[in-house]
Amino acid sequence: MLIPENVLFAESHEYVRVENGIATIGLSDYAQQQLGDITYIELPAEGDTVSKGSSVGVIEAVKAASDLYSPISGEIVEINSELESAPELVNQDCYGQGWILKIKISEESELSGLMDNQAYKKHVE
Amino acid sequence: MRTVLYQKHVESGGKIVDFAGWEMPLWYKKGQSAEHHATRKNVGLFDICHMGEFDITGPGSKEMMSKLLTNNVFGMSDGQASYNFMLNQNGGVIDDCIIYKFNDEKWMLVVNAGNIRTDLEWIMENAPGGVTVTDRSDRTAKLDLQGPDSPKIIRDLAGEDVLNKFGFFKFRDGVVIGGIPVLLSRTGYTGEIGFELYFDSDRAVEMWDMLIKAGEKYGIEPCGLGARDSLRTEAGLPLHGHEIRPDVPALNTPWNFVFDWEHDFIGKAALLKIREEGSGHYTIPFIMSGRSKAMPGWNVNLEGVKIGNVVSGVISPTLENRPIGFLMSQTPLETGTKLTFNEEGKSRILEGEISDSPFVKPTSRMKMKNFL
Repeated sequence: MLIPENVLFAESHEYVRVENGIATIGLSDYAQQQLGDITYIELPAEGDTVSKGSSVGVIEAVKAASDLYSPISGEIVEINSELESAPELVNQDCYGQGWILKIKISEESELSGLMDNQAYKKHVE
Repeated sequence: MRTVLYQKHVESGGKIVDFAGWEMPLWYKKGQSAEHHATRKNVGLFDICHMGEFDITGPGSKEMMSKLLTNNVFGMSDGQASYNFMLNQNGGVIDDCIIYKFNDEKWMLVVNAGNIRTDLEWIMENAPGGVTVTDRSDRTAKLDLQGPDSPKIIRDLAGEDVLNKFGFFKFRDGVVIGGIPVLLSRTGYTGEIGFELYFDSDRAVEMWDMLIKAGEKYGIEPCGLGARDSLRTEAGLPLHGHEIRPDVPALNTPWNFVFDWEHDFIGKAALLKIREEGSGHYTIPFIMSGRSKAMPGWNVNLEGVKIGNVVSGVISPTLENRPIGFLMSQTPLETGTKLTFNEEGKSRILEGEISDSPFVKPTSRMKMKNFL
């Protein structure tokens, strides 16, 4: 199971990678393994404003559907449109090509409430 | 509990889950969709050792099986298998099972893993003196080899003669596959042509390795319970505890073919009464309009009014990931009827409609020689 060092994690298994005030959000490797083959991702619209913990999409997988929660507050500046035709990218490369959306962070302080890779490792054990 | 193949599943990267008290693989490394497609296009191998097998022997066994089962036991020939419901007095389904006839006084009944004890108690309660019922589930391995390339694997390992005029729902006992004596049955739970192999559980690891090796050139995949569920749903086959249940009389289902109404069986009177009254539930296939699936337990609504619940829901890899399933309704519904689905207490509403089943055209009944 991959848990990279340079990302933060929410308890609901989304990851956050921060670069220049923009958070790239996706599902952790642990989460995609639990869900199995992902067949569809219902995504929000670019420009939507979201708050921490709100549902921003639905991940449809062979085993179950699960909500995707935003780990932080902000404005959605980009969604990964590749996932419309290739949702399996989340299974194949969740931290790379399988990223889901990008949020312009409005509350920097919320990041301190997320787990680092060590804490997340304990969380999923 | 674990089957004798548990270690194999772990070594093969199986994601292990609990199923009726058994630690079973849900899928392996390549994932459920790859396993599903392999079975439809090539061949899949399933560990089904958790299921139950009973030997039923002695004078009076035919009469007993006929009374316990819904299909035409008296009409069976030696070497034939038959799919059945076993009902309680209210017409609810204690279990669904396959009965194998060796001769009038020798039968094998194959039952669901979670129902072994209940079934055994029920059969013993109804067994007359002279009939012996032996539970040999622990010492019997069962592997399912399913898919259009499965006959080639059997041919390669046991010779082509074994498959000569081998019809659907027929079985051959004592077939030697790589030195292991097998009861080879042309049955399955995927809708594809294929086999169920019953043999000594001490040989299970050996058999598993042999089939995987022999199947390599045909693209064999080991398949978990996830693919088993999506395959059976596409093929329009019920899963006990979902489409068929002890607390729901088994009337108005897509599986009317399991009933031979000409003979007396336990539960028949209750079903006839329900049919006369026009009461009872309807078990009906549905297909979703979008790409999100309705899950078991979700509400089913007709014109905004709740009429029932989803009992099974899977994503269909063969239908390009359209979600399909079965629902239980209080009213009959025509194919094409538009419905909505929602989780109780949730506002997200999905759309779908009543479908026909099977959802995909299976190869299970086609001639064996077409696959060699």
